[in-house]
Amino acid sequence: MNEPILSLKGVSQIYTKRSAKGWRRVPVRAVDGVDLDIREGETLAIVGESGSGKSTLAKLLLMLNRPTQGQIAYRGLELDKLNHEWRSQYRRQVQAVFQDPSSSLNPRMTVEETLRHVANRHSLVTKLNQRDFLAAQLAAVGLNPPEQYFSRYPHQLSGGQQQRIAIARAIMLRPRVIIADEPLSSLDVSVQAQILQLMSDLRATTNVGFVIISHDLGAMQSIADRSAVMYRGRVVEIGDAIYQSPAHPYTRLLLDARLLPNPRGTRVRSPPPKQAAPFASVETTQGCRFLHRCPHAIEICAAIDPQLRPLGLGATQVACHRAEELSAATTPV
Amino acid sequence: MTIPQSQQIGNVKHLVAVKNLKVHFQVTDRIVRAVDGVDFHVNPAECVGIVGESGSGKSTLVRAVSRLMPNLRVKELSGDVQFEGRDVLKMSEGDLRELRRSRGFSMIFQDPLGYLNPTHRVGRQIAEALSPHGNVQSDSQRVQSLLEEAGFQEPNNVARSFPHELSGGMRQRVMIAIALARDPKLLFADEPTTALDSTVQLQVLQTLYRLHKERNMAVVIITHDLGVVAELCDRVYVMQTGKVVETADSVDLFERPKHTYSARLVELSAHRSSFRGAQYE
Ligand SMILES: Nc1ncnc2c1ncn2[C@@H]1O[C@H](COP(=O)(O)OP(=O)(O)OP(=O)(O)O)[C@@H](O)[C@H]1O
Ligand SMILES: Nc1ncnc2c1ncn2[C@@H]1O[C@H](COP(=O)(O)OP(=O)(O)OP(=O)(O)O)[C@@H](O)[C@H]1O
Ligand SMILES: [Mg+2]
Ligand SMILES: [Mg+2]
Repeated sequence: MNEPILSLKGVSQIYTKRSAKGWRRVPVRAVDGVDLDIREGETLAIVGESGSGKSTLAKLLLMLNRPTQGQIAYRGLELDKLNHEWRSQYRRQVQAVFQDPSSSLNPRMTVEETLRHVANRHSLVTKLNQRDFLAAQLAAVGLNPPEQYFSRYPHQLSGGQQQRIAIARAIMLRPRVIIADEPLSSLDVSVQAQILQLMSDLRATTNVGFVIISHDLGAMQSIADRSAVMYRGRVVEIGDAIYQSPAHPYTRLLLDARLLPNPRGTRVRSPPPKQAAPFASVETTQGCRFLHRCPHAIEICAAIDPQLRPLGLGATQVACHRAEELSAATTPV
Repeated sequence: MTIPQSQQIGNVKHLVAVKNLKVHFQVTDRIVRAVDGVDFHVNPAECVGIVGESGSGKSTLVRAVSRLMPNLRVKELSGDVQFEGRDVLKMSEGDLRELRRSRGFSMIFQDPLGYLNPTHRVGRQIAEALSPHGNVQSDSQRVQSLLEEAGFQEPNNVARSFPHELSGGMRQRVMIAIALARDPKLLFADEPTTALDSTVQLQVLQTLYRLHKERNMAVVIITHDLGVVAELCDRVYVMQTGKVVETADSVDLFERPKHTYSARLVELSAHRSSFRGAQYE
């Protein structure tokens, strides 16, 4: 088994927000006690609820935020305590693709300046063949012919083209880990396929690892070694087969809500009647945070917050009291 | 108002009719033909999808039609764009504002951060869209229900937040709520659900579909997700390098794609969803 390159222990990020009236500050637990190991060279998908803390987790890993609680370690060294040299190594070895490419690209820099800036800072190539090198990076993400894009500013690019510049910028440094927040969301399936191929080529040649945040469950199923499902600041399930055998009721809900490319589909046009969750209106601060939406909730779920724990003998971990019962009830025949 | 025959394009019954639209940009010494001779129409109460290559001109098309092209260096903008028989490209700024205000069209942008006001709480921004000069207090009920329709479970919390305090998908839903607040006759939605998880996406699309049916709201949706097209749209345009290469009823696109690029899109999406072959149930 590979050593973890990044590991999180009890990591929380608590934002404070001013309440509507008055000056009281209320805490927002965006990430709430996450334990997670990211292994060298693996592709880990992070999927889940919108607003569940995925981007916040990415910012923590990129040292853009400091965790309110808990520790993050890089090859066993706590990020907090890295000396100057390690810190700069870290910044080179862990690269980012942000969720909103238009705001992560400098609006006053052309594509060429953006890439050249990164290449120079890390003295990647000699000045002589730099232009060829940069052109090759653009071609790799499907921006052809590359010369057409060199002199453009971000606002002169389409959403998907901006996204690909951000990807090119991250991979050109040949880092150890790439943390990519929704890197495929503005790309058509044919460019997506090309980027997914590029990623697996890079893995084969450089053993780079990926942490990919995405809502595209199909794409993640095709590329991830493991997937973590987040709900309200927590990892509620993690494993290598969550798409085939989901263990948490929320994971099931996510999978069931996918749309099929079938024009006779009826999920949007005539949705099935919603079945009310048994505990939908119960107030509790101590129980499971999925309680109010869970069709399978029972007494214990309202009383005790389930912790992430191994399920059976497999590699899956799940935070649900009833995981065994429920997965036994729906195993494939 | 009667419209002289000479100004009408094609079928007067169209809500939007676009003929031979060209939008060319100048980048240093090169001309980018972002939209290059596109014919396009939307019938009243119709739901139309636009799919296509990244960079094929989808966002530019929709922006030109709604005349939302702030300070861009446009080399050429030509063709006819009519909204209910009125020429949008030649309309004065005042008329355009009036059209937007009086239940004309709303737009959901591809990148919400650029269009939300960072200094106002989102509740206020939605209330302003509800009634530009109205009483913000009395609208708070409506604001809440709009946020619920956009898939929020705690609308109160969200209404009190500033845009930077929200996640990417939450901001996207706020844009949706703002667009729907105007009660438009026509909604342009540029990748409105890319940052949403599948359950919220489903909920938002169900809302759009319901408003589409109940209020006869026409919808033009740009998306890379053929599942969205399949389950929501009546008709689809497929774009490649500034041109429409195919237009078809949804069913026909999926079952009998004519253009090779459309066929590839359909095939790749089917392949992607076939990962579910070993369905867990
Ligand atoms: N600066 C901030 N101040 C207050 N709350 C914040 C701030 N940034 C994020 N949050 C809150 O933290 C939670 C998690 O946000 P985050 O952006 O990590 O979600 P996400 O999982 O990336 O969602 P999405 O899929 O929609 O992008 C949200 O409830 C959000 O409102
Ligand atoms: N202001 C501009 N100046 C120069 N070129 C532009 C400008 N805006 C867009 N373009 C170019 O026009 C083409 C069409 O862009 P558009 O944003 O319409 O594409 P799109 O189909 O929406 O793509 P995506 O799916 O990636 O969002 C692209 O090649 C883009 O680079
Ligand atoms: Mg996010
Ligand atoms: Mg676009």
